[in-house]
Amino acid sequence: MRRITFLCGHYGSGKSEIAVNLAIDEGIDYLVDLDVINPYFRSRSVHELLAAEGVTLVESSIEKAANSDLPVISAKGAAPFHDKSIRAIYDLGGTDQGAKLVQQYRHMFALDDTVDFLVVVNVFRPETADAQKIVRLIDSLEAAADMKVTGLINNSNLIKETRAEHIEKGERILAEVATARGIPIRYTFHEESVPLSGTFSGETRSLRRYLAKKWL
Amino acid sequence: MAKVLMKGNEAMALAAIEGGCDAFFGYPITPQNEIPEYLSRHMEERGRVFVQAESEVAAINMVYGAAGAGARVLTSSSSPGIALKQEGISYIAGSELPCVIINVMRGGPGLGGIQPSQADYRQITKGGGNGDYHLLAFAPENLQETVNIIKESFALADYYRNPVMIAVDGLLGQMMEPVDLEAAPKTEVPPEKAWAADGNSDRKGGRNVITSIHLDPLELEKHNRKLQKKYDEMVAKEQRYEMIETADADIVFVAYGSMARIARSAVKTLREEGIKVGMIRPITIWPFPEKAFDELPASVKSLLTLEMSLGQMHEDVRAANNGRFELDFYGRTGGVVPEPEEIIDHVKRMLEKEGSS
Repeated sequence: MRRITFLCGHYGSGKSEIAVNLAIDEGIDYLVDLDVINPYFRSRSVHELLAAEGVTLVESSIEKAANSDLPVISAKGAAPFHDKSIRAIYDLGGTDQGAKLVQQYRHMFALDDTVDFLVVVNVFRPETADAQKIVRLIDSLEAAADMKVTGLINNSNLIKETRAEHIEKGERILAEVATARGIPIRYTFHEESVPLSGTFSGETRSLRRYLAKKWL
Repeated sequence: MAKVLMKGNEAMALAAIEGGCDAFFGYPITPQNEIPEYLSRHMEERGRVFVQAESEVAAINMVYGAAGAGARVLTSSSSPGIALKQEGISYIAGSELPCVIINVMRGGPGLGGIQPSQADYRQITKGGGNGDYHLLAFAPENLQETVNIIKESFALADYYRNPVMIAVDGLLGQMMEPVDLEAAPKTEVPPEKAWAADGNSDRKGGRNVITSIHLDPLELEKHNRKLQKKYDEMVAKEQRYEMIETADADIVFVAYGSMARIARSAVKTLREEGIKVGMIRPITIWPFPEKAFDELPASVKSLLTLEMSLGQMHEDVRAANNGRFELDFYGRTGGVVPEPEEIIDHVKRMLEKEGSS
């Protein structure tokens, strides 16, 4: 992974689960939760787990205010742009409204090969169900964040009802987007209970659910 | 249509559109904001009405007006916002108008918090507003059930000429789950609303007037008795519930909404350990499903009410039980969502107490 990764995606794409998975698997230093869109199931709800894994979670600037419903982000979120030894993932809220939060850091970094802007897509979300809709989403995210998307993440699933064919459908649709926009598919995520068959672009990774309640 | 993965609030909004909702009036509040957000885009696409009002009070009065004109109308809010709407809801019930209200509940009292709760139970089932009225109130357990009920609710509101409330806690609003919108029952075409104040002056019998004011006490009493007849019909016809493994159960849980999901998981685990538990799951919370309690076999030892509130439904369980079985209660509140293990531990403590007595 590049040193700085911005993760974006329509809400419900599974972006926060992937942010937590990548942070733990890749030994990331900072997970910066910029999600001011969703009130529940945010990466900040696994604070203790991340701390145990050596990941520093940066969230609200108000102590113990995770449930304040206030869009305030700690100034620590800018640290990775000043201290080049810090590897960070930024978890952005759903839609272009969430991507706007990147603007506060845009003057602090150059768009070089140390920075990734990845979009998580689940093709079973009606708002990202086909290539055309996904391209439209990418356009709006790029405009809001003022940078180009550098990669796609296939997280197509129906939660417990997911079958391998659902993930393959995600691959087909994202391949169309990749061709249309020249953006590669970087990762395909799947739960271990759903073994993959066939070939997939980029790396395949197994997903563990940290944010969802196990009784759901 | 194939299954799609939707967030609860989006699925509810789409179900309302599919259910024939003509107009939405609302005001933002967490954790239901994706409902107006979704509708702000998709109602316009379909040439329907979306208005973000200046307050909850304004929104519910817009609902009152549009319902009076004969439209199928929706509003949505969360606990303190629903409290603000109570005056309008009472007026709408008093004026015998149909509308659908979605309440995505959060912790209270007052401004409370934004995490999930069921502490609106009394507000929903025991009035909220003034006067002898009730809401037909559903408390579904998962998104598919929620979607099906919302699609059906506009027809029910029209039939009874009464507000219908769909009460879910914040978890159902925020969680993701696969849903099939086509699997929901087909929505009936709205009946002709001969009572509507829709500017149609050709109608025989003169002008239609929408009002909840009746200054003559005898006339108001007569009006109340007419309303009461509708509520009696709802009690007779609309009680909905699910009986889960109650036939041989020693302990029967009573739980609705997200709490029922957690309890369902506890039933499974306890059954695997050989402990006979079951559950009554109210799907309507008004009318309260008293019929479910009559179905329980005499072999049941006790009932355990489970809530994400502190004994609000337990009062109705006590009344429905009518002294038949021992009663117990376990609840968390303020936005705390219990884990199945807490229920399992509570059941084991109940069994220990029973064994030692």
